[in-house]
Amino acid sequence: MSIEEDATVREPLDLIRLSIEERIYVKLRSDRELRGKLHAFDQHLNMILGDVEEVITTVEIDDETYEEIVRTTKRTVPFLFVRGDGVILVCPPLRTT
Amino acid sequence: MSGTGEKVTGTTKTPTDFLKSIRGKPVVVKLNSGVDYRGILTCLDGYMNIAMEQTEEYVNGQLKNKYGDAFIRGNNVLYISTVKRTLADGA
Repeated sequence: MSIEEDATVREPLDLIRLSIEERIYVKLRSDRELRGKLHAFDQHLNMILGDVEEVITTVEIDDETYEEIVRTTKRTVPFLFVRGDGVILVCPPLRTT
Repeated sequence: MSGTGEKVTGTTKTPTDFLKSIRGKPVVVKLNSGVDYRGILTCLDGYMNIAMEQTEEYVNGQLKNKYGDAFIRGNNVLYISTVKRTLADGA
């Protein structure tokens, strides 16, 4: 691990380490969200998640009424490898939205 | 990440200096996707990975979500800007 000028400064990745073995919320590209238990991650934000629920959000626009129909698709996966380049945001699970 | 800065004539003259100086400050982070995040910057690194507290997510100017702590992957970041945080924003 290369050490920058201030070795004492903690990086964002250090703070993610605090969430290991905890449940987290991950926002991905393509309007996807994950909620699962973080088992491992690396500097690319590749992650191993367990007991994961994935939510895919789509917005359809009705041709006639032009109203937006928001749909969500959910699935659960017991064990998941997430490639880091798709990750946008990571945080502890949202309480009540 | 090597600091390519040369000519450090003043206090914050290189991007790296700026990144060091804004820790703990309220910031606006705009992503490539256009989504805005406002919060207090905890720390960041040379890849522009960001850790923030009291984060609010704005989509099209509308507040969408609030996160207690948030980590944002640096490749999504368009810019990081400081802002004078107004208390009780719209509340």
